Amino acid sequence: MADLRERTRPLALDEAFHLVRRMTLQPTYALAASVVGKRPSEAVAALLDAPEAPFPSPIWALQTPNITDFNEAYRLFIEMQNWWLGRVLTVTSPRERLIMLWHNTFTSDYLNVYVSHWMVAQHQMLRTHAYDYSEISRRIVGDAAMLRYLNGDQSIKGRANENFAREWFELFSLGVGNYSEPDVLEAARAFTGWRISGLVGTYNRQLADLGEKTILGQTGPWEWKDVIDITLRQPACARFIARKLLRSYVEHEPSAETIEDVAKLLRSSDYKIRPVLLTLLSSEYFFTPNLRGALIKSPLELVVGLASALNVATVSRQYVSQVMTRLTQEPFYPPTVEGWKGHHAWITSSTFPQRQRFGESFVDGRQIGSSSKLTDDAGRTLVPDVIAFMKQFPDTNDAEKIVSNVAQALLAVPITKEQHDVLLEIMLAGAQKYEWDINSAAAVQRARFLIQAIARMPEFQLM
Amino acid sequence: MKKLTTNEQASPSVDRRSFLRAAAGGGLAVATLPTLIDSFSVQALAGGDPRLQQLLEDQDRVLVLIQMAGGNDGLNTVIPHSDRLYYERRPTIAIAKNKTLRLTDTLGWHPAMAGFRSLYDEGKLAVVQGVTYPNPDRSHFRGTDIWLTATDADVFGSTGWVGRYLHTLAPSYPTELPAHPLAVQIGNATSLALLGSAGPMGISFRDPDEFYRLVNGGGGSGEVPSSEQSDTPAGREITFMRNIARSADVYANVVKQANDKSGASSVQFPASDIGAKLKVVSQLIAGGLRSRIYLISWANNNFDTHASQTSTDDPTLGVHANLLRELSEAVTAFMQEMKNRGHADRVAGMTFSEFGRRVYENGSVGTDHGTAAPLFVFGAQVEGGRVHGADPDLVNLDPIGDLLMQHDYRDVYASVLLQWFGVQDTMARQLLFRDFGKGAPALFKKATTRVEESDARQAFVRIGPNPATDVVVVQVNIDAQTDATLVLSDIRGIECRSARVEPWTGVGRLELTGLPAGTYIVTLHAGRSIAHTTIQITR
Repeated sequence: MADLRERTRPLALDEAFHLVRRMTLQPTYALAASVVGKRPSEAVAALLDAPEAPFPSPIWALQTPNITDFNEAYRLFIEMQNWWLGRVLTVTSPRERLIMLWHNTFTSDYLNVYVSHWMVAQHQMLRTHAYDYSEISRRIVGDAAMLRYLNGDQSIKGRANENFAREWFELFSLGVGNYSEPDVLEAARAFTGWRISGLVGTYNRQLADLGEKTILGQTGPWEWKDVIDITLRQPACARFIARKLLRSYVEHEPSAETIEDVAKLLRSSDYKIRPVLLTLLSSEYFFTPNLRGALIKSPLELVVGLASALNVATVSRQYVSQVMTRLTQEPFYPPTVEGWKGHHAWITSSTFPQRQRFGESFVDGRQIGSSSKLTDDAGRTLVPDVIAFMKQFPDTNDAEKIVSNVAQALLAVPITKEQHDVLLEIMLAGAQKYEWDINSAAAVQRARFLIQAIARMPEFQLM
Repeated sequence: MKKLTTNEQASPSVDRRSFLRAAAGGGLAVATLPTLIDSFSVQALAGGDPRLQQLLEDQDRVLVLIQMAGGNDGLNTVIPHSDRLYYERRPTIAIAKNKTLRLTDTLGWHPAMAGFRSLYDEGKLAVVQGVTYPNPDRSHFRGTDIWLTATDADVFGSTGWVGRYLHTLAPSYPTELPAHPLAVQIGNATSLALLGSAGPMGISFRDPDEFYRLVNGGGGSGEVPSSEQSDTPAGREITFMRNIARSADVYANVVKQANDKSGASSVQFPASDIGAKLKVVSQLIAGGLRSRIYLISWANNNFDTHASQTSTDDPTLGVHANLLRELSEAVTAFMQEMKNRGHADRVAGMTFSEFGRRVYENGSVGTDHGTAAPLFVFGAQVEGGRVHGADPDLVNLDPIGDLLMQHDYRDVYASVLLQWFGVQDTMARQLLFRDFGKGAPALFKKATTRVEESDARQAFVRIGPNPATDVVVVQVNIDAQTDATLVLSDIRGIECRSARVEPWTGVGRLELTGLPAGTYIVTLHAGRSIAHTTIQITR
């Protein structure tokens, strides 16, 4: 059973790092330092309530789609990826990370949806209602991108298409084992009646199957909204979402008891996420030392995390997109309706070396595993300022402390004495400890050696 | 719903090395030992003997698994054109009899599958009808996991059937890695099928050259040692990553060597993604990579044809037709390439998909998730030109209205393990968590190139002295004309000495000077026969 009692001790730096690593995509030293000394609940509230700049949709996305050929469709995919990447590279808000959880739950992909206008609209819907699962559930049914992705716009009375109904139960709300095959068939009938008109889905009762249906044991002339209501009242639904939250924020294999505890929170908050996060992320359970580094970074978390740590938010967005694609997380293109499987699936004999090459190349301003320079969107060469990165920390002229501080900022698990000594040796590259001088010309290369060695460690992939 | 216990999940591993040790040290009847030896351990026993290497390469059997992800519509692949109901249930997407390619009197191939038709007619492709399992799951993800783990529908397994099999070949994986990867997946992902109880039993990469560059392209500022890992989530993840990193390090070289050695393909592979992947597989096989399993898949759930499965005006065209054409063309090119390169007899392939689709089409020119479907097994050594099972029965359906099972998919796996890889019955049962009885369909021809395991009591006439010090003389019982070799290995399987057997006398002498005291294995290679016995060296 998870100890969800509030932890009241003011946050030390390592705890602050743990909190910002799990809450945001940009767990920088500055962000962690900003909550040090606060009580966990104050820190969580401060991060959740920090002002957020508006994020308007691209102008084209608000106009009636008029896509004539694949080249035009493709151009818009890229524009959409850039639009969103610009946001996550520059904005710290916990909402950005939470949106990824929903995008990875209520998946749609740009190629099957094809019309990026609808993908943008879906993203904005998930953004607006990120802290309300119940509202997202209601809106996803008639979401234009989803109607296209799971064929809701082609499901007609009498010959219902089962695609959305099945995934609604299996992947969006209850999980396998908590509904029956007849539930899918009956719910598919209830989800008929939707078409896409311009940018939005429209529901036409004339086209819907209004006949009697039995869904999850309840009989009535159910329409789409009733299916959502009936489903969300199922205890399994709260457990399903609780597990997703725990997997995203705390640990990959939470116990059944822990899931039940968080499910209770979800039920009592009526599926509002903010109060659940407030309790969960300021609990004794969340700060259990054993859970540090228990999660494997997604490609997004890896790339944006390092870019933010080294303060290079202007890195070419198409480069970021390419790296994410190579690491199997192409933006707006989850591989299947199940979304990215995550965790161990991120790490293979193909992606692990690429993750290492990405990290070490980035540090000295090169593109992944090549000699091509890192650039910004305008093609200007970009070299991370590793000295400025190091100068954030106290005791910049103490080689031992620099190693400890940099490791603490970049690794979710503490390093051992042996690892510390090797990192120090790598940084000094033959020099003596007392020769370390952060203002010397040689310090740049030494700083890179240190950060690159860290970026190659398996520990660097954890969060 | 039940979960497997840790015990059940663990590979049914007979630890070969420890068995060798027990057999050698404990004086067990050595004649029973060879039955556990397959080419991987034989390879370890035989070391670098080039003649034997050739023999091993000839006999190492390869299986290519092709996953048709998304749920392939079996009824529109192998078309029951003689069944009126097929046309009644599918008024829009059914394919007219005169458009199909002849398979049997009552069945036709989808018109996009000319290549499969030829392979079938040449006796190199078999069709297994109605493959699924009891209480089939219509979820993509559960369905896929069930197929990959080879478990009952209500069991959530955590290891793959291939991974469990491969673990028996390399029980100390990943602590000790075989010289070649046991399995290769072309792509960035690693399938659950390849997962053993000690992590993934294979490697993944998209392109051999890129893989080599990425693994070896690191900066030179040094490696940080792994700390002693505690039993925390983070500690387990670090171990997980270290093992994967190590297999990538070790195998990037052999993969590149094989790819470089293979040279240009002799056939033109189709430009499709699946064609390109099969081309890589063919190059690795031709270049001498000795992986047992290759796994390829479409990148997404491409076969999930809920809507616009066929073109509205011509049901022989459209998304599904294109996918079947990609499959048929790619496999045809692959088979031709293997034949041209002289590997046809040791390479076979099998397709699979998590489920078939419903008998009824839906209202969107598509089909929803169903149950049983045909799968295909291909290869020169496949009992081809046969359809296993009856034509689909569109009258007697399950309560949801879907096709009933004819073959449990695990019976097909059993055929692969027993007939293709020569796995023992009891082991196959352990690997598949069930008894298949006589259920395994005869899909493969009898082995023609396997190393025959000889009875040691028959093969060795005299060995002496034993214990020995400087030299041991071995007399064996072979035909005068047979070219035979003796190999001496230590109990770890590392070759120490070898000697030719004199034709006519059948005598060979192994020099023992310089070897430490202990138990050693003497292996006789004679033609395609092999036999083992042990000797003691004293000092």
